[in-house]
Amino acid sequence: MSESGHSAVLHDNKSLRTLFGLALRLLWRDWRGGEIRLLLLSLIMAVTSVTGIALFTDRLEKALLLESANMLAADRVLRSSQVPPEEILLEAESRGLRTARTLSFTSMAFSDSGNMLVAAKAVSNTYPLRGEVIIADAAFIRGTPVQNGPSTGEVWLESRALSALSIEVGDSVYVGEAELTVSKIIIAEPDRQQGGMLDNAGPRLMLSMEDVALTNVVQVGSRVSYRYLFANDDIETLDSFNQWLRDEYENEYYLRDVRDESEEVSDALNKAESFLLLGSLFAVLLAGVAIALTAKRYSERHYDYVAILKTFGCTSAQIGIIYLSIQVVLALISIIIGCVLGWLVHQGILQLLQTVILVSLPPAGYQPYVIGSLTAVICLLSFALPPLLALRETPPLRVLRKDLSQQKFGANVPYLFGMFGTVFLILWYSQDLMLTTVLVGSVAAIALFLSVVSYALLRSSGSVGMKAGSAWKLAMTAARRRRKQNVLQVMVFSITIMSLLILTLLRTDLIDDWQAQLPEDTPNHFMMNITQSQIAGIESFFEENGIVSNAFYPLISARVIAVNGDEPDPQEDLDTDANRSSITEGAQADDDESEDQSGDQESSAGESGEQGQVRGRLSRRQVTWADELPADNRVTEGSWWDENIEAGYVSIEDEYASWLGIEIGDSVEFEINQQTVSAEVSSFRSVRWDNMQPNFFIIFSPGTIDYLGATFLSTALMEREQKILLNDLVRLFPTMVIIEVDALIEQIQNIIAQVTSAIELISVLVLVCGALVLLSCVNATLDERFHENAILRTLGAGKKLILTSLLIEFSMIGMVAGIIATIGAEGSLYYLQEQVFEQDFNFHYWVWVAGPLIGMVVIAGLGVNSTRKVVSISPLNVLRRVV
Amino acid sequence: MIQIEQLTKSVDTSEGVLTILKSVSLNIETAETVAIVGASGSGKSTLLGLMAGLDSASSGDVILNGHSLAKMDEEQRAILRGQMVGFVFQSFQLLPSLTALENVMLPIELKGDPEASTKARRLLARVGLEERWHHYPSQLSGGEQQRVAIARAFATEACILFADEPTGNLDTATGDKIVELLFELNREFSTTLVLVTHDERLAKKCGRIVKLVAGEIVSDEKNLAVGTTVDTTGTTPKEDAVSV
Repeated sequence: MSESGHSAVLHDNKSLRTLFGLALRLLWRDWRGGEIRLLLLSLIMAVTSVTGIALFTDRLEKALLLESANMLAADRVLRSSQVPPEEILLEAESRGLRTARTLSFTSMAFSDSGNMLVAAKAVSNTYPLRGEVIIADAAFIRGTPVQNGPSTGEVWLESRALSALSIEVGDSVYVGEAELTVSKIIIAEPDRQQGGMLDNAGPRLMLSMEDVALTNVVQVGSRVSYRYLFANDDIETLDSFNQWLRDEYENEYYLRDVRDESEEVSDALNKAESFLLLGSLFAVLLAGVAIALTAKRYSERHYDYVAILKTFGCTSAQIGIIYLSIQVVLALISIIIGCVLGWLVHQGILQLLQTVILVSLPPAGYQPYVIGSLTAVICLLSFALPPLLALRETPPLRVLRKDLSQQKFGANVPYLFGMFGTVFLILWYSQDLMLTTVLVGSVAAIALFLSVVSYALLRSSGSVGMKAGSAWKLAMTAARRRRKQNVLQVMVFSITIMSLLILTLLRTDLIDDWQAQLPEDTPNHFMMNITQSQIAGIESFFEENGIVSNAFYPLISARVIAVNGDEPDPQEDLDTDANRSSITEGAQADDDESEDQSGDQESSAGESGEQGQVRGRLSRRQVTWADELPADNRVTEGSWWDENIEAGYVSIEDEYASWLGIEIGDSVEFEINQQTVSAEVSSFRSVRWDNMQPNFFIIFSPGTIDYLGATFLSTALMEREQKILLNDLVRLFPTMVIIEVDALIEQIQNIIAQVTSAIELISVLVLVCGALVLLSCVNATLDERFHENAILRTLGAGKKLILTSLLIEFSMIGMVAGIIATIGAEGSLYYLQEQVFEQDFNFHYWVWVAGPLIGMVVIAGLGVNSTRKVVSISPLNVLRRVV
Repeated sequence: MIQIEQLTKSVDTSEGVLTILKSVSLNIETAETVAIVGASGSGKSTLLGLMAGLDSASSGDVILNGHSLAKMDEEQRAILRGQMVGFVFQSFQLLPSLTALENVMLPIELKGDPEASTKARRLLARVGLEERWHHYPSQLSGGEQQRVAIARAFATEACILFADEPTGNLDTATGDKIVELLFELNREFSTTLVLVTHDERLAKKCGRIVKLVAGEIVSDEKNLAVGTTVDTTGTTPKEDAVSV
C-alpha cells in the first residue's frame, strides 16, 4: 500500500451512461412517488399554454390577414384620385408581387325602360387578388364564387339595379357612350366597402377596365378613385415594396392595409392582440412561478438524496450531471406532451370558433412549437435549474447533521435567476421594452408593497388571535411562526389572484365595450343630402315599410379660418383622433374632391401623404347643431349648453381642439357657405369614433348657423330582405345619397365575435395556470404542516381542532391575499385600461367583496384539502416519513 | 488501515472558536472492530465524520488505506468514499421515495454494476427481508429499516464500515438483533468496523474501545473478551481491491 498515493491515483469508474441511467431511474422513482408530478405538470402547463396560444394567434393572425385581405381584395392597396404612374405596377411585378387595378366612379346607367345612379367599378383581368366575387344568373340568389371580373363588353350588376332598370341577365345597359351586356348578377364582392362614397352611392355596376375608354365617362376632373392592388404571401416583400414606394415618391404614394382602412377592425384587432399577449404573459409568468415553487420543494426534498449519493461516492460534478439529465428529460417530456396538448387546445379553440371563423385557416408554421419548446427550456433554466444545481453544494456531512444544507448558494439566488428568466420571457414575447419595463416595475413595486402589508397584517392578526379560542390560537400561532413563508405565500397568492382578476375584469370590460360599440340595432344605412321638406316623407316611408329609423341631423360644410383672430397653427402630430374620419367625414372628403380642386382636400395624390393629412384636417368638416349632447359623446372640459342657451357657442372634439391649439373660451371663426361665423368655444368632447354612428368634430349651439341652410343626415337599420326598398327610396327622393354599411358592420361584428371567443378561451387557460400556482404554493409548505400537525395529534389534539385551525389559517392567508390582489388588480387595471386598451376605467365595486372572498374560499379549500390527510393517517406514519 | 495524525476540528461560533477535537491521533488496523465511546458532545460523531471523509479537518490528517484525506478536495474524497467506505446511521438515512430494494440498489447502481438488482435482493435476503423488498421505508419498522441500511452498507463491498449510533433509535431487543447482524456480516465481509456509540453493551462487542472526553482520547483499550476480527478464511483484504 503506497503511503503517498492520494486522489491522483484514485479513478472514478462512473461513466456518463451510468449517471444518465441513474438519473432516469431517479426520475421514474420520483414520478412514482409523486415527487416530480407537480413540477412536470407545471412545465407541461407552461408549454401547453404558450404553444396553444401561439398556434392559435399564429393561425388567427393569418386568418385575419386573409380575411382582411379579402376586405381589400388584396394584401395592400394604393389609393389615389389621379392615375398613379404605371411604373409602380412594373416595379411591383419585378419584385414578384401580383397586381391588379380598379377604378371607381359614379355614373348613370340607362336601359330601354329606366335609369339609375350606379357605383361603377372597372377592374383589370387579374382582379380580385384575394377573396372572391360571388355571381349568379338571377337576382337575389346565393350565387357561386369566381376569381375574376367581367369580360370585355359585359357588365355585372347588383340585384336591385336590375329591378330598378327593369332588365334581366342578357339585356343591354348603357354606361356613358358604351352599350354593354349584363352577363351576371353580383351577389357579393370582396372590397365592396373600400371606396368611400364613390362605392356606396348606389348599386354596383362592374365592368372590364378595357371598356372604360369606350364609355367616355371618365374625364379630367371627374370624381374617381384609382386603386392599385398588390398581393404576396411574404409580408416582408410587401413591406420592402412599400418602403421603395415611399422613398421613390416621397410619401406621395404608400400602401394601406386593412388596419389603415378600417378604424373599427383595427381597434378590435389591436386590443385583442394586446389581450392575447397579456394573457400569454400571465400564463407563462404563473406557470413559471409554479415551476419555481415546485422545483424549490423538489430540491429541498432531495437534500438527503444528494447527501446519501455523496456519501456513496458521487462527486458534485456527477450530482450536477444527474440533475441536469433529469432537467433535460423533464424538458423533453414536457415539450412533447406540451406541444401535443397545445395543438389540442388550439384545435379546441378553433372548434369553438368554427361558427365565427368564416375563412379556412391556413396551417400554422413551426414557430409556435419553437416558442413553446423554448419556454420549457427557459422556464427550467431560470426557475428550476438554480435550486437543482444548488443541490450539488449539499455537504455529505448532512447524513450525520440534518441541519446542514447548501452553503455556497444563498437561499434567494434561485429567485434572482427566476426574476431574470421572467424579465427575459416577457421581453421576448412582447418585443416591447416599454411594456416589459412597466410590467416588471409594477410587479416589483407590488411585491414590495405586498410583503410589507402582508407582514403587518399577519402580525396584527396574530395578536388578535391570541385572545380567541383554542383553534384560533393554534391557527394564529401557526401563521405567526411561519411568518416568513406565509408572507411569501401571500405574495404568490396575491400575484396569482391579481393576474386572474385583471384578466377577468379586462375581458369583461373589453367584451362589454365591443358589444356596446356595435349593438344588434346599429344602423347600417346612412342617408345624406336630405332637404328639410323631404324629412316628413322619408319618415313615413320608413314607418310604412317597418324600417327602424333614427333622428335627422342637420349637416353643413364648414372650415376653421381663425382662432382668436389668428390663422390656425395646427400641430404636425398625426397620431391623434383629429386624424380620424367618421362616415360623414369620409363622405365629405369625397365631396371636397369635386367641390374644391385647389388641393384643399384630404390626402389627395397631388401632395405628400403627411402634408396632405395635416392640411386635410384643416379642410372642410361636416358640422351640425344640437340641443343635446349626442349619446356616445362625453364632455371632457367646459360644459354643455342648457336649454336656454343663446346662439354663438360651439363644442369641439377634444383632440381636434388640442391639435388646433384651441382653448375653452376662445373665439373661433368659421367659413360656412362663403359667410364668416364666429362662435365661442364652450366645451370639448370625446367622441366614440368606432360606433358607426353619425359623429361630429364641431357642434354649434342651436340658432348659431341654422339660417345658413343645411341638408340633413339620418340613419336606418335595414335587414337584407328590405334592401330592395332602397330602389323605391331613391326613386321617391332622387337627391338623397344612401351609404350602405351593412356588409362592413357584419364583417366587423364577425371579427369581434371571433376575438371575443378567443379571449374567453385564453382566460380559461390562464385560470388553469393560476390554479396550478395555488396548488404548488400550498404544497410548498406541506411537509412542515404535516410534521407539526402530526406532533399536535400525538400530543392529543383532536381532528376537529386541527382541521378548524388549518381552515382558519388558510382562510386568513387567502383573505389577506384576496384584499391585496384586489388593490393590485384595480391599480393595474387603471393603468392598462387607460394606457394600453384606451378604455375608460371603471371602479369594480363587486370585486372588493368578491376578491377577498374568492381568495379565502379557494385558498382555504385547496389548503385544507391538501393537508387534511394529516388527520386521516396515523401520526406515527407521518413522523416516520418526514423524520 | 486508518491512521489519524494530530486531528483537530474547530468551528466558529458566536461566542468564539470552539474546538471539538483536540489533536487526536489513532491507528486502526485492517479488520479491526473499534468502538468510539463518549458522552454527548464529546466529539465522537465529528471524529467519525472526519475519518470517513465526510468533513475536512482544521488541522492534522486522516490516512485512509494509504490516502491522505487532507490532500484531497471534496470531489476526491467522494471518489474515495465510493470505493472504500460504507455507512450505517442512527437515523437509517433511507430515501423515503425508494423501496427497500431500490435503497440497497442505489450504491451498486452508482458503480454502474448491471447486476444491481440481483445483488441487492441477495443482501436483503441475507438480512431477512426478502419478502419486504417492495416496501417503502415508512412501511417498515425501525429495526427493519436499519436492516435495509445494513444491507445497503455492505452492498458496496467497502473495506471500511463506519456506523454512527446504529442502535440509537431502536429498543434493546431490536438493537441486539441488529448488532448481531452487523457483526455477522462484518465477519463475513472481513470489513474494518468503526462505530460510534454511547451504548456500553454494543461497545463491548468490539475488539477495541476508544473513549473520548471533550475532544480528547482519554483511553484506548483492547477488549480481550472479543479479540480481533481478523479474517481467518484467507480472503484477500479488501484494500487490495482498490485501485492504488
